[in-house]
Amino acid sequence: MGPGKLITALLLGAALFAGVLVALRSTAPAEPVAAFVLPAPLPLPEFSLVDQYGNEVTAATFEGEWHLVFFGFTHCPDICPATLQILATAKERLAANGHKSLPRIVLISVDPERDTPDQIGQYVEYFGDGNLGVTGRLDELQKLTSVLGIYFEKQPADSDGSYVVDHAAAVLLFDPEGRFHTLFSGPHVVDDYVHDIPLII
Amino acid sequence: MRKPLLLIALLLTACGGADKAPVVATDIVITEPPPGKTMRAAYLRLTNNTEEAITITRVTSDAFNAVSLHETSVEDGIARMRPIPRLEIPAGQTIELKRGGKHVMLMRPTGPATTMSLKFYDGEHLLLAVTAPLAPEPE
Repeated sequence: MGPGKLITALLLGAALFAGVLVALRSTAPAEPVAAFVLPAPLPLPEFSLVDQYGNEVTAATFEGEWHLVFFGFTHCPDICPATLQILATAKERLAANGHKSLPRIVLISVDPERDTPDQIGQYVEYFGDGNLGVTGRLDELQKLTSVLGIYFEKQPADSDGSYVVDHAAAVLLFDPEGRFHTLFSGPHVVDDYVHDIPLII
Repeated sequence: MRKPLLLIALLLTACGGADKAPVVATDIVITEPPPGKTMRAAYLRLTNNTEEAITITRVTSDAFNAVSLHETSVEDGIARMRPIPRLEIPAGQTIELKRGGKHVMLMRPTGPATTMSLKFYDGEHLLLAVTAPLAPEPE
């Protein structure tokens, strides 16, 4: 084979390879950018908490629709409202895009000592109607968080008696069978939720 | 005529001094507290117009009994909020206090108010005093 033919063959080969790449890219399904879908959804354990209406919250509460679940506390002035606002804005944009199956936003208190059902309700409803606020007994909360791998720890109080609670920054998506289905580990970005949720729900 | 002249002179001093002030605050945002809560956060940019680093060790406000500097951080997936003892603005630079980062925590309001002061100190030395509007607490 002369050098001219070799170059032609190489060029043809490169063109074919590029063509295959383009074809693969255009047919590959869109992938979530922030969501991590669990290889197998994780059923929720037995636990008993309470919502803002005074109703008992158990694993069965999460059956029937998708839920976006965040753990936080109402005395948290910075990151908790920021995260809830991001989830609420993402939900509004999904609705505006015509996406039919919208997850319900849930805040589970990691500060049940201070967060009464009334308080957690007021707090979540501020970020949209229909949001669910959950609080209850610390030992019941731990039954849930330990299975989900959600860390939280109350910090020592200052001289005023006020304290903060360190907590996992993740947002969890529960499927309509009431199982932990997808993890958004953060940082939380509205565009990511708007992109990823229709690929999952 | 004396009084208006004096007033104009004071205004001129205030305006003329603004860009030469050692520390300038811009883009001040005081958050609305969630219903049932009274604490707020203040976010702003602070510019150091001097050739030396400036340290803020204390912040006070006429509208809040407890004002402190805090920093939120997310490391290894854990959100933490901690008081910080000081805030340093390097010479000639601007720092940003923002959501999910450093911020001023405003707790225990002194009473209903529509505006509030924020005073930044290095020890007992007043570096900067600003006034910001205070949105009402939501129903």
